[in-house]
Amino acid sequence: MSPLWGALQRIREYDNLANIGEIARRYFAMNAFDGVLTIIGVLMGNMTAGVDEPKIVVSTGLATCIAMGVSGLWGAYLTEAAERKRDLGELSRYTLTDLDDTRIGRASRAAVVTVALVDGLSPFLAALIALTPFFVVGIFSTIIWAYYASLGMALLILFGLGLFLGRISRENLILYGLKTVVAGVISILISFLLGE
Amino acid sequence: MGRIRRLVLDTLKPHEPSIIALADQLSELEGVSAVNISIYEMDRKVENAKITIEGEHISYPGVFELIEELGGAIHSIDEVVAGKMIIDDAVTLQD
Repeated sequence: MSPLWGALQRIREYDNLANIGEIARRYFAMNAFDGVLTIIGVLMGNMTAGVDEPKIVVSTGLATCIAMGVSGLWGAYLTEAAERKRDLGELSRYTLTDLDDTRIGRASRAAVVTVALVDGLSPFLAALIALTPFFVVGIFSTIIWAYYASLGMALLILFGLGLFLGRISRENLILYGLKTVVAGVISILISFLLGE
Repeated sequence: MGRIRRLVLDTLKPHEPSIIALADQLSELEGVSAVNISIYEMDRKVENAKITIEGEHISYPGVFELIEELGGAIHSIDEVVAGKMIIDDAVTLQD
């Protein structure tokens, strides 16, 4: 058995034991969605306030991405660790053995780390991708086009997330995609009206 | 050193890993030829499993370690057969 195959088997086993995949999927969709909507808020705030300096948009956007990443990582780690510890403790009381140093205990710890990483990275990356037009702002004739491109990118990510959710629920992909895009459009419209 | 050829264990284990995974991994231990696991009692979080293992040369420490590693606890060793062949307990007049 090659080490890679062994590692894959171990991941599959931990996934079965601690149900990592399903929880990570849920956190991913939920937090990437949060990340995109937050960055839409940042972009709309900058746009309606008339910020025409790309550096300001990038620094506020990046600061928001980092804050969301740290918040996701920290929050999910603490919450998940507390819940898992409680579950493991309860199971230990039933089996009358200490399960910390068993595969169940290790799977539980792996779940905490994986879920925390997914929870932190998903809003961070989703927001960062939406912000990319501002990293190549030179290709746009005016900064307003960078705003439009960023907002378009954000809506595209939302559509992608909808497709992902549609795939999980095995329902109409386009319908799910549109449902998530509508949230972005509503957020843009409200921010726009407030800014006006 | 004598050879253990059959072990019957009474264990308590969490629902996960399932008895499929447990049987699969026990059967891969050296000296084990066959494994039978049956659940005779089910609780909310745990289940009682009767594990029968047969083989040419079963290592009890190996079996114990694996069951413990998978979160199970051995309550009792209900039957052991060792030697050159497998024998069942003899029927006596009292039976």
